[in-house]
Amino acid sequence: MLWLALRLPLLPLEVFPQRPPPSAVIASERIVACDPSATQGGVCPGMRLADAWALLPGLTVCERSGEREQRQLAALACWSGRFTSEVCLQPPAALLLEISGSLRLFGGLAALCAQVESGCAAQGHAAAIAVAPTPLAALWLAAEKPGSRCLSPAALPAALADLSLAVLDLPPAQAARAAGFGVRSLGELLRLPRAGLARRLGAAAVTTLARGLGEVADPRPRFAFPDTFAEHLELPARVHDAESLLFAARRLLQRCCGWLAARAAGVRELRLEMAHERHERQPASALELHFAAPTRDGERIERVLRERLGRLALTAPVIALRLVAERVEALGGRERGLFGDAAGGEGVAMLVERLQARLGSEAVQGLAALPAHRPECASRLVPPGAGSAVPAAGARPCWLLPQAEPLAEVGGRPQRGGPLELLSGPERIESGWWDEGEAGAVGDVRRDYFVALSPRREWLWIFRSAQGWFLHGLFS
Amino acid sequence: MSAGAAAAAGQPDLADVLARSDVWRGDTLAQAPLPGVPSGFGELDAELPGAGWPRGGLVELLPERRGIGEMALLMPALARISSAELAWVVCVAPPLPPYAPAWAAAGVSLSRLLVTRAAGGDAAWACARALEADGVGALVAWLPAADASTLRRLQLLAEKSRTLIFLFRPAAAVRESSPAPLRIALAAGRTAGRLSLNLLKRRGGARAAPLELDLARPAPLSSAFHVVAGAAPSAAAARSLSPAAAA
Repeated sequence: MLWLALRLPLLPLEVFPQRPPPSAVIASERIVACDPSATQGGVCPGMRLADAWALLPGLTVCERSGEREQRQLAALACWSGRFTSEVCLQPPAALLLEISGSLRLFGGLAALCAQVESGCAAQGHAAAIAVAPTPLAALWLAAEKPGSRCLSPAALPAALADLSLAVLDLPPAQAARAAGFGVRSLGELLRLPRAGLARRLGAAAVTTLARGLGEVADPRPRFAFPDTFAEHLELPARVHDAESLLFAARRLLQRCCGWLAARAAGVRELRLEMAHERHERQPASALELHFAAPTRDGERIERVLRERLGRLALTAPVIALRLVAERVEALGGRERGLFGDAAGGEGVAMLVERLQARLGSEAVQGLAALPAHRPECASRLVPPGAGSAVPAAGARPCWLLPQAEPLAEVGGRPQRGGPLELLSGPERIESGWWDEGEAGAVGDVRRDYFVALSPRREWLWIFRSAQGWFLHGLFS
Repeated sequence: MSAGAAAAAGQPDLADVLARSDVWRGDTLAQAPLPGVPSGFGELDAELPGAGWPRGGLVELLPERRGIGEMALLMPALARISSAELAWVVCVAPPLPPYAPAWAAAGVSLSRLLVTRAAGGDAAWACARALEADGVGALVAWLPAADASTLRRLQLLAEKSRTLIFLFRPAAAVRESSPAPLRIALAAGRTAGRLSLNLLKRRGGARAAPLELDLARPAPLSSAFHVVAGAAPSAAAARSLSPAAAA
């Protein structure tokens, strides 16, 4: 087991995106967290609100919201699903990731930690990270020595030696007693006999210490990834143009991709809802994204989203985004071809999505040949990749006109820039009595088809019916 | 200065320059960087650099009108790419709806065919995206209104890809300059079923006379289909087929 602890020291502040600096979060009239500009003004956590206002009269203050912090922590747990599916929430402001199975995939511990840090910054959080073989040790190290990495249980006592007793979170009476017999760091505490410690500080403190050192098992409930993904994001400012929504939507997308990776699933449909201000009296606008195949590739989703946002005209400024994924499909890992990549199915699926995002889904299609006698019914546009063919009877043209064009007749011969020369035929097609008179159907046809050559050397497919001669296709 | 001294001085050797794909002697065809796609017509392959339709560059086709056999010229190559190489064929902005039975009969695998309807600038954009995607073996596009800068951008993208690109443009564009390394004007041949190719531009010596090719044309029917009772609606047509009426 190897645990990565992710502490978010500024989480109480970060759940309020629309705060002008300098700002601070308070709980029961005391400062809990403050931003850098407030720190420069001399405000620090633990200070009374009246003192802080005396130092900085312009300080913006928000009341701490435990509910928002829990929501944000769960959202971040969804995002961390990209790295491992074994995530534990550690309220109020920490996550634990079990990463022993992810090291090779992400290219080693250093690369993994770098990705966690940069991803956390992209999610808008300052983070302190530490790695240790037990969850408690990882949390303690992240609190006092962020960036430290301890890989084996044998090295734990040395790594924890210079941490202060504050990490143990002892009740005040016991903390005072420990200070009373002259213990200031964990290393000094570990040198004392455990039985005596248990009598002086209580059994709970000794058990905690043993769990931190890995001597006693420390089972923890895992974070249960939700069944459907619906995440909400407040924007720091009102956004007027759709293009700049992409930056904010990227945060939601990364959370969604992490959630999908943890569930080993992909999506075919995503919905991005954009909420407007209440006084605009506008219902939320929504964008539906569709993909050719289930995917959880963030870049691919982002490309499609960029095309869609580029064509979106906002009716009112947006203040919040919500990303919803309702139906997911199982999607395993990537399979590589034995000899390099397989024949580009993935590449073409992405191409189809990009084209459909800009041109509309009905403008990008495949072709299927159907077993039907009437020429209009033998060819149909189908979703890309679903094309199939049945052998056709007789000669068929490369292009079929959407509507048959009537041809003039002079002396019994059809004309198009002069008399046409009939090369082969007739091929009698008489079929379709069953949908005669239905709306949109071809109906009953009785036609004799010929291949004809015009004086200008065009190869035409023409037919003769009771109404006369018609041009129906071009052999080109 | 000897070749060795030139190489030592950091200047390229003449032999190296002549081996480049974009440099050729006036009396021979250029060396193609990628092997061409056999066009299915031996006489044409002999006239093209790389012994086939060149990949990694635009092939600009300028037919005098629709229906003279311009698609029959491409079908063997498209069939080869979609059925033998298992790559996709993408059609961008075709002038008419393609008719599936004919494409299937020509050997194009319909499960790897993509038809994109696009207008104006979107068509060129769709071509660019198709060139960037891997897995696309051939692109057939109709860009009647493309200007020189669009064509140049597509040519630059094409040089980075291995895709075979056929670009149909109106015959009036013959007089305009174009960045495409291969331009062919198509006209109907002297006899039915033949197509005349005028190689306007290629990487190699100019060819004065147009090339005449025999195309695969719809064969006469061996027997009538769908024999039904009732009078044929086209007695006149049947008469017009007889030599007496033609005279």
